[in-house]
Amino acid sequence: MIVKDFEREFEALARAYERAGGDVSKFLDKRIASVIISGDRVIGLNGVEGVVLKPSKIESGVQVDMEIGAGVVLEHPVHVCTGFLEKKGYQRVIFNITLRRNAKAIFTAHCVFPWAEEFTHDALMNVRLEEGAWMEYHDEHMHSETGSINLITRSIADVGMGAFFRNTFTLVKTRVGKLKVFMEASLKEKAIAELFTKVKATKDDDVEVRETIKLDGEGARGLAKTNAVALDRAKVSVVNEMYGNSPNTRGHVECVEIAKGDGVEVSALPILIVKNDLSELTHEASIGRVNVKQLQTLMAKGLTEEEATELIIKGILT
Amino acid sequence: MLALVDVWYESDGKAILKNINMTFEPGKVYAILGTNGAGKSTLAYVIMGLEGYRPTRGRILLDGEDITDFPVTERAKRGITLMWQEPARFTGLKLKDYLTLGGKNKVSDEEIKRALEMVGLNPHLYLERLVDEKLSGGERKRVELASVILLKPKYVVLDEPDSGIDIMSVDMIDHVVEELAEKGSCVVLITHREEIALKADHSYLLCRGIVLKEGHPGEIVSFYKASCDKCDHPNEPTERVGEELRA
Ligand SMILES: Nc1ncnc2c1ncn2[C@@H]1O[C@H](COP(=O)(O)OP(=O)(O)OP(=O)(O)O)[C@@H](O)[C@H]1O
Ligand SMILES: [Mg+2]
Repeated sequence: MIVKDFEREFEALARAYERAGGDVSKFLDKRIASVIISGDRVIGLNGVEGVVLKPSKIESGVQVDMEIGAGVVLEHPVHVCTGFLEKKGYQRVIFNITLRRNAKAIFTAHCVFPWAEEFTHDALMNVRLEEGAWMEYHDEHMHSETGSINLITRSIADVGMGAFFRNTFTLVKTRVGKLKVFMEASLKEKAIAELFTKVKATKDDDVEVRETIKLDGEGARGLAKTNAVALDRAKVSVVNEMYGNSPNTRGHVECVEIAKGDGVEVSALPILIVKNDLSELTHEASIGRVNVKQLQTLMAKGLTEEEATELIIKGILT
Repeated sequence: MLALVDVWYESDGKAILKNINMTFEPGKVYAILGTNGAGKSTLAYVIMGLEGYRPTRGRILLDGEDITDFPVTERAKRGITLMWQEPARFTGLKLKDYLTLGGKNKVSDEEIKRALEMVGLNPHLYLERLVDEKLSGGERKRVELASVILLKPKYVVLDEPDSGIDIMSVDMIDHVVEELAEKGSCVVLITHREEIALKADHSYLLCRGIVLKEGHPGEIVSFYKASCDKCDHPNEPTERVGEELRA
């Protein structure tokens, strides 16, 4: 629930959150676990049965330890909102998330920095999934239109035997600024991980994505995927990395990047490393202008080139 | 009326279409026959005006207006559309968005449902699907047919709608073609299937980029079966045919 004396701050954040596509009512619903961070304080917190949320103060930010008990299956997604309502500053956020054996939880996270100008957001998420656990973390960002935000987000996941982890990062509705997305997952026997980044970079935005999956346990499977659109003078560099370290592991890396604009610079680098001959890794990448056949298909139905491009890009980013 | 008047198309110095004269009328169905490599798909691209497929000679007229230099979108806005032999796939694009062109094609949910049912796709199972690589070849073609139905085109070129679709579903294509024609569309049907071609009103036989023969589909199909099926020099029309053509 909203911490006393922070009601007004919550309201300001709530407005930005709703613009980001979030549903504020979820933070007021007692049945839904939630965490609200504004600046360097936790201004709202709601634990539910089986979920332990422990916030603590760190330098320029907050740390929240979250634990979902063994066998606990959360009916509603855990809602997380991280905001920064000032123009200038630095914010550090650390989430340590543990799901005990066979626990299942989905996290819906929104990061909103609607007015930020000279601002750095530094996020680190440590995930530990015990055997048979299932976790999805969906992170959507809304930045200011200044393009001067500096964002680093890192996630390091330890995915236990037979566990499932899906991690998505989306920043497609606003300017980006300078962005580094680093996702890493190490998988035990029969574990599955999907890492997926979607980003639309415009003007002078500068994006770096690195997704790494280590298929350490026998029979583990991984998918590292990035869809990016770079317009104007934006730079997007993507590295998708997959390590086949054990027998019968399968991994796929995939990158779709559309570049449209005189000064764009995009790159896609798939890295596949097999250390066991019973591992099978594949990759797929398409990079460059919008596919001509796709364009002409839509134009043959009456769309202009611009409309067709827009629809193709919309598909890639949703 | 859509007319091709002495249309030639050359690529890399090689003539792929030669002296094509064809006319297409609203509400009618035309079958285009020809062995592999005869130039059927190229003809489709030239009609649609795809990038790189401007005729090197000749004119394309739509109701008397010269549209030879019109780009794809302009032709589409005048009611011409094309279903590719291998329709494109789209990352992340939902079938519903594809069929409505992201809302630009104002069709009701009811119409969408009906179009999908007509092509044998259950709307409940498919509307949320993506028009991406995961659709099977046959499913993708069905989606394209549904899209054509919803566009209500004046002229549509269907490039082998039957290839990749199971034999049992050939009737479905018949129904779609019939429905399009009933509603006033002109259907230019490129096909290798006799039973589909026979339903057309008129037929053209292409061989190495020339119209080798035209006429009633029954007659063209018989000729095709008697000559082209057994031809040991496909896409090399004999001198005699060439002479007949010139005559
Ligand atoms: N851009 C091009 N440049 C050069 N040659 C081409 C080009 N496109 C097609 N061709 C050639 O032109 C001929 C006609 O090709 P087209 O695809 O139109 O045949 P088709 O009748 O549709 O055959 P199919 O039944 O196999 O679909 C073929 O010999 C093909 O190799
Ligand atoms: Mg063809």
